[in-house]
Amino acid sequence: MNTDGSLIEARDITKSFGQTQALRGASVAVRQGEILAIMGPSGSGKSTLLHCMAGIFPPDSGEVWFDGQRLDTFNEAERTRLRRTTFGFVFQFGQLVPELTTADNIALPLILNRTGRKAAYAQAGQWLDRLGLGDKAARRTGELSGGEAQRVAIARALAIRPRVLFADEPTGALDSLTGEKVMRLLTGLAREQGTTVVLVTHDAGVAAYADRDVMVRDGRVTTDARPVRA
Amino acid sequence: MIRVGLQMALNSGREALTRLIVTTLAVAVGVALLLAVLAEFHAFQRDGNRLCWECTQGSALPGALPSRGEAWNYSADFYQGQTIERLDVAALGAGAAVPPGILRLPGPGQYLASPALAHLIQTAPRDQLGDRFPGTLAGTIGDAALTGPNELVVYVGYDPATLARVPGTQWVTVIGTGPGPAVFTPFFRYAFAAGVLAVLFPVLILISTATRLAAARREERFAALRLVGATPGDISVIASVDSVVSAALGAAVGIGVFLVVRPALAAATLTGTRYFAATVTPTAWGYLALLVAVPLASSAASLLALRRVRISPLGVSRRATPPPPSPWRLAPLAAGIALFFAGILATTTRGIGPATYPGLLVTLVGLVIAGPWLTWALARLGGHALGGAAPLLATRRLADDPKAEFRAVRGLVLAVFLGTIVGVIVPAVESQLATPSSTALSNVLLDTFVSLNGGPPTLPAAGVSALTPDGLTPQAGAALVSGLRSVGGTTVYPLYSLPQGAGPNGPPGHYIGVVSCSAMRRLAAFGQCAPGLAAVQVFDVDQISSDNPHDSAKPFVSYANPAYDGSLATLPLQAVLVRVNNAATLERTRTYLALHAPPQVSAGPGVAATPPRTYGEAITIRSGRVLVAQKLFDLAVALTIVAAGCSLAVSIGGGLVDRKRPFTLLRVGGTPLGTLALVVLLEAVLPLAAATVAAAGIAYGMSALAVIRLAPPGTPVPGLNGTYWATMGVGLAIALAAICVTLPLLGRMTTPASARFE
Repeated sequence: MNTDGSLIEARDITKSFGQTQALRGASVAVRQGEILAIMGPSGSGKSTLLHCMAGIFPPDSGEVWFDGQRLDTFNEAERTRLRRTTFGFVFQFGQLVPELTTADNIALPLILNRTGRKAAYAQAGQWLDRLGLGDKAARRTGELSGGEAQRVAIARALAIRPRVLFADEPTGALDSLTGEKVMRLLTGLAREQGTTVVLVTHDAGVAAYADRDVMVRDGRVTTDARPVRA
Repeated sequence: MIRVGLQMALNSGREALTRLIVTTLAVAVGVALLLAVLAEFHAFQRDGNRLCWECTQGSALPGALPSRGEAWNYSADFYQGQTIERLDVAALGAGAAVPPGILRLPGPGQYLASPALAHLIQTAPRDQLGDRFPGTLAGTIGDAALTGPNELVVYVGYDPATLARVPGTQWVTVIGTGPGPAVFTPFFRYAFAAGVLAVLFPVLILISTATRLAAARREERFAALRLVGATPGDISVIASVDSVVSAALGAAVGIGVFLVVRPALAAATLTGTRYFAATVTPTAWGYLALLVAVPLASSAASLLALRRVRISPLGVSRRATPPPPSPWRLAPLAAGIALFFAGILATTTRGIGPATYPGLLVTLVGLVIAGPWLTWALARLGGHALGGAAPLLATRRLADDPKAEFRAVRGLVLAVFLGTIVGVIVPAVESQLATPSSTALSNVLLDTFVSLNGGPPTLPAAGVSALTPDGLTPQAGAALVSGLRSVGGTTVYPLYSLPQGAGPNGPPGHYIGVVSCSAMRRLAAFGQCAPGLAAVQVFDVDQISSDNPHDSAKPFVSYANPAYDGSLATLPLQAVLVRVNNAATLERTRTYLALHAPPQVSAGPGVAATPPRTYGEAITIRSGRVLVAQKLFDLAVALTIVAAGCSLAVSIGGGLVDRKRPFTLLRVGGTPLGTLALVVLLEAVLPLAAATVAAAGIAYGMSALAVIRLAPPGTPVPGLNGTYWATMGVGLAIALAAICVTLPLLGRMTTPASARFE
């Protein structure tokens, strides 16, 4: 836990890509088990903020704290290990390996974390059953619908029981009905596991599933749009 | 649409430019390899079709010399292991036909030599070479008479009366104009055909892989074009233009690369012969065909590839995942092996069973057909046996499309299979030639003076008086032996003829020779006399004139041979064996024989006679033929492995571009770069290694069985020699290096910071 009681916190971070300044002193903190939605218009810097908080790349200045450690001072290998063992990711699409079956895709992060092959596939099977995809364990992910693929992606992200789940527009490629189902699943499972979720979206409907949301404009976190849910 | 296609190919950002460069380079490598093969084949064919003046057929020279045509005596000589073709010639009248490469016949006391021989004559000591040719060097022989710049040929001029007395001299009125006899031509043609096939497949695959580079990324762009209104036909045009541009550029660069390396190729002696540089080139049609065919083929490949995907305005969707290959694919391979075994069962030391060759061919085809199933099975097996994320990712991809994965190494199977067979057979043949006996006699030269093999008569109507049907007369023989002993560094062992009718009292047999037992003691390889004997009668001695050292070095004397009590000085000289102490002595001995002993006579048109040579030279010459075959196959294997490695590298590069997103997101999710690099390596190395091991293993088993059945009992199971392992090792190292070149690309392409998730 960080000194302020949050699990993960960005403090006054900046990030530029060439001449473009994506973040100009953004600060946000997320508590253990909280679901935070980061909203903002296109190009506001919300995805860049998520990437900095997840250690995908370090900020140019400012600090990122995770569980009492300065994440922004970690080297690439340390950040890679953290992402593999402690964080989970769900993206809009494309995170599944098309040649692998759904069971393979879910087992993959467990195998990467040195879980035994048998145990990894047993866990993958349990996840598939929970998601109602038990009959599709041997299917390649290219043969799944968009909603099914996102459910597999959520299972894959949560299979390692991450402390933080980063989701970047997880319903962006889905129709609204399927999107709602996916969000219900994501938030439900996260709450069940006590996983903290940082969710980037421009959709207020999606953000409604969060405990709290913040707005990013011109590289700064401008408002806490809604108070923390009790 | 053509303009759009050109813009997409040439001016479409850094990624498109990189793709264009990689495709161009890969096609260039393939085209250069193809041109090199075509060039060498062209030179080989030109040589095969050369006018064969050596094949000139004459008739017996009448006792009264005619007034037209010429006296013609074609023989062969050796110098430092190289054959010298020698034509002794004398014009019998005006207008005598002139052999190729010269304007007029050399006169008496003159000789003309090929440039290489002229150089040797001028640089070597006269008593080792120059003295063999009477007269003075009057000029050089032109290319028309020669196979290549290294060939040693001499035309020696005589007066007709002198040449008429030389054994083997014929009367020639017309010089041969047909191609040479196909003694080894079919052998080399098969070797070439196999080599070309072995190289051609992987090169074509390399070109087709290269032109399909990063197809998925291109297809995404095509979907975007469909969205703005392009028809499927427009997409086909754009895809074709894109492929044709890179293939045409690659073909042009490939021709340039070939022209740069052509001098080195011309200087190489790939078939054991160095050809004239001007002939080591494809024909103009060859160049043109490649310039046209490669772009056309790549366009066709591109259109074919488009048929496998559905490109709609909403994106790209693959056709259904192909089902795994059927195990029935193993049937031809099993049938080939069974057929081969049937052939081997019927094989003895006297002959090869009739089913052996078809079995070999069906096995070869069967390997190619079985390849995808074997790749699939290996991937499945590997997936279960190997733990960890990298094997999981790699083996799933291999199992997903084993046909495509095997395609890159298909040519390799062919080359490794044939290369291994030759790699087993060549050492086996060599071991048969270089027997302990023949090796012990390696510095012993043999010259015979009678025809023992039932060949053409050695004695023409106008033969020299010193020669009799049993060999040189006792006086001439004694003079020759004495003269040979006067050449420093020699030990001479005469072999005499037993006069007909002087039958012995020993075991049954046709006793035709006499040897001294002291000579036999010093030539232990030929056997020993019973103790206390001075000389023995020998029979079946004709084996020593065989051109196969395995036969000619067999013992022909034992304790059972009856004694010969007469005087050796009264017997005709059948042959001499001369042990020499060094190479210079060997050449001085040959020079002495060239001047004082009758020449060896050709066994037929275009076939050079066997000149005096050592057993060591006989081994070298005979094994040289199989070594040339091995060299060709080794080259084919090396080129094929390189081409297969390049194909894999290009294929991996393309696969990386296509999988940029999932790989990047795997890295974002914490997958170490090393794991992804291992995935890439496994995807490439597994089919490469499996193809090599399977092809080599089956080929080794089959050829070892063949050798065991064919060779005399007790012959050890043949092994593979250093050349084979070196070729395989270097080829695989180059292929692996080509694969490793793509790894830095993986790191750059999948850096998490470059991830775009929307």
